[in-house]
Amino acid sequence: MSKWLRENLWRHVVGVLVSLFALFPLYLVIISSINPTGSLQITSFIPQEISFNNFAKLFNDPTIPYLTWMKNSLIIAGTVAILSVVVGASSAFAFSRLKFKGKRIGIQLLLLAQMFPALLALSAIYVIMERVYNFAPAMGLGTQPGLLLVYMGGAMGVNIWLLKGFVDSIPIELDEAAKVDGASAMQTYWLIFIPLAIPVLAVVSLLSFIGTFNEFILARLFLVDMDSRTIAVGLQGFIGGQYSQNWGPFAAGSIIASVPIVIIFLSLQKYIINGLTAGSVKG
Amino acid sequence: MKALYHGKTTKFAKYVVVALVIAILAMLVQSAFASHEYEIAAFLTVALIVIAIVYLTEISIPFKFLIPGALFLFAFVIGPIVYTVVMSTFQYQTGNYISKPEAILKVQALGVAPDKAGTTFDVLVGRNSANEYAILASDILTRRYFISSSTSKTELFPVDVEVNSDGIAQKGTGFTPLSGEERLASDQEFAEIRFIYNEPFFIKLEGSSLGAVNQRILEYKSDRDVFVNLQSGDVYSDSGQGNYVNEADKEEILQPGWRSPIWFSHYIDLFTNDKVRKPLIGVFIWTIIFAALTVLTQFSLGLLLALAMDRKIHGRRIYRSIFILPYAMPSVMSILIWGGMFNTEFGAINNLFGTDIAWFQSAIFARVAVIVVNLWLGFPYFYLITSGALQAIPSELSEAASIDGASPRQIFSKITLPLLMQIVSPLLVASFAFNFNNFNLIYLLTGGGPSSPLDGDIAGATDILISYTYKIAFGTNVQNLGLASAISVIIFIIIASISLYGIRKSKVLDSFS
Repeated sequence: MSKWLRENLWRHVVGVLVSLFALFPLYLVIISSINPTGSLQITSFIPQEISFNNFAKLFNDPTIPYLTWMKNSLIIAGTVAILSVVVGASSAFAFSRLKFKGKRIGIQLLLLAQMFPALLALSAIYVIMERVYNFAPAMGLGTQPGLLLVYMGGAMGVNIWLLKGFVDSIPIELDEAAKVDGASAMQTYWLIFIPLAIPVLAVVSLLSFIGTFNEFILARLFLVDMDSRTIAVGLQGFIGGQYSQNWGPFAAGSIIASVPIVIIFLSLQKYIINGLTAGSVKG
Repeated sequence: MKALYHGKTTKFAKYVVVALVIAILAMLVQSAFASHEYEIAAFLTVALIVIAIVYLTEISIPFKFLIPGALFLFAFVIGPIVYTVVMSTFQYQTGNYISKPEAILKVQALGVAPDKAGTTFDVLVGRNSANEYAILASDILTRRYFISSSTSKTELFPVDVEVNSDGIAQKGTGFTPLSGEERLASDQEFAEIRFIYNEPFFIKLEGSSLGAVNQRILEYKSDRDVFVNLQSGDVYSDSGQGNYVNEADKEEILQPGWRSPIWFSHYIDLFTNDKVRKPLIGVFIWTIIFAALTVLTQFSLGLLLALAMDRKIHGRRIYRSIFILPYAMPSVMSILIWGGMFNTEFGAINNLFGTDIAWFQSAIFARVAVIVVNLWLGFPYFYLITSGALQAIPSELSEAASIDGASPRQIFSKITLPLLMQIVSPLLVASFAFNFNNFNLIYLLTGGGPSSPLDGDIAGATDILISYTYKIAFGTNVQNLGLASAISVIIFIIIASISLYGIRKSKVLDSFS
């Protein structure tokens, strides 16, 4: 056995085996989506015939409002991504740079809030939004604006925390120099902090986008109407319990829904991994 | 550029936005008050006042930055946390969902029964002379006729009515029958009217041409806060658990009940009531095993990969991109896909291995499936982390050890691994806390099953605390929001202590302690 084999063979064996494990479900979904029968049962792991029936069904079958689901998801996740960062950035700036009474308690409260999974307060959120519905039906339980508000609140803790970490890393000398030149807090924020932070704001908002796109249970509780559902809730309801019947279109639908997320993720890899080591876990 | 932050236009725009927000909040406050949602109205009022003070004066610059985020946090994170704690001290479940005054009205409405003789009248529906909905009732045996509405009753003499061959009045003085169409449209309303008879008796319609004499049997005595059964004389009093209970027979409960404060009963039940405690302990143990096994398997595979790739081998970049894919996929989609793959009859797993395992029908196989799927979802995370950590360990250490004659195995176990663990242990803790509440995986893959609903037990073999709590709160049979909230509070205490421990280890708090 040569030295190369001794040192590297096991690395490739591990690499290939784990690659097979990682790729198997993805490969299966792809061949299912182009399988003309659309059935869960795969007669051969090598496709014999290619058809785009399943994709066509998604866009043409009126019982599957796939495009509406996709649109809902993009609008909801997009709005949350932008607004939560706009609101979160200013709070993060205050926590990191400005002096005020109760800052210490504020930070501890924030720390507590950002590690509290919204899931735990599910019953409370449900009851509160049911009551909001009583007097403001447009933004209570069962509505997209209501869900959006809940998402905004939920994203706030983590976003402020992440952004605060970033602001902390900007050298304070910049602020002090600006202050010497007579800049107000507002000016420091808009003229120094925001231009420096734009790449980070973009990353945090894309992370919020992925997180919201992936959120299932609140959306499921809030959005009952077929046409108001997000893609996650829609596809789950569509496949739920009927794997054998709806597998083909589901496979096609999940590929289309996953592609944008995978692309965002891969292009942000570097930033996300930095964020990961800061202690946040993707949901 | 500077003008933008001091200019008149900017200031004007600011006032417009603030005024708009205040106006919207004021409208919401007003309608919340009108709908008796006082707690929410109070919160919105406070928010309105704070916004007005902070943005219309120069009291505090930092608060101008803080307020929007803080309000969202209070409304949708801290508010619900407090509300969860409050709900956990209430009897709050199906049958105890409304407030006490509402429950009293409902009990009164439901507390009726036919009179003992089962008296009925033939009736015709229409309007009386005051143009109210009314009935023209006929007793064909005694030839007694009367018009009755919900507010008045008029006896008619036989000369005032025209009867058909059966002796049922068809027309009467001061009574206008409804046309067929009107009759159909008002069907629902008629069914709910209590037509006057002799107090405490009244007439209810049964079908379109029959009126039955009913009696109010439950009377609310507001001075003693009890219901009295007028037929049997039984007294029903407030049990303190959100229901009126028969004083003579504690098993007999009036429905509906109301959400009533019961303080720590739910918490005491969690520890002492076998019906609650037994399934909870089972679920709790599995939650710990699940989270621990998940972290262990994900970390081990991630570490193995990181070690294998810790050298510039051919195709390393390709391997790396492949390994990241499961992590980049939206997890909801991945879990649903795996659900199909574990299908017994047609699933790819049984197909691939030539087995015939009913994965989600057997407790042990379902648990294996959950762990395998979670391994797939999470190993890339630990691969990324550990390979990063390996690079952070200075190579001088292992070089020095190897000069001293240490074998590669010794270097790994004595130097690399301990250093690595020091770096990643806070992340292991965080991952444990995250998986402790990994609701999506359980809910979407197995639904918590398999379970044996025959024993009346809603906990399944793969249910973790959070999915079990969800079933208690939003299940199909009984929805017990109070008990679910109590369990949520317990989970939060566990998670908060785990996370604080992790944070202390990673010394995030250093910056402000």
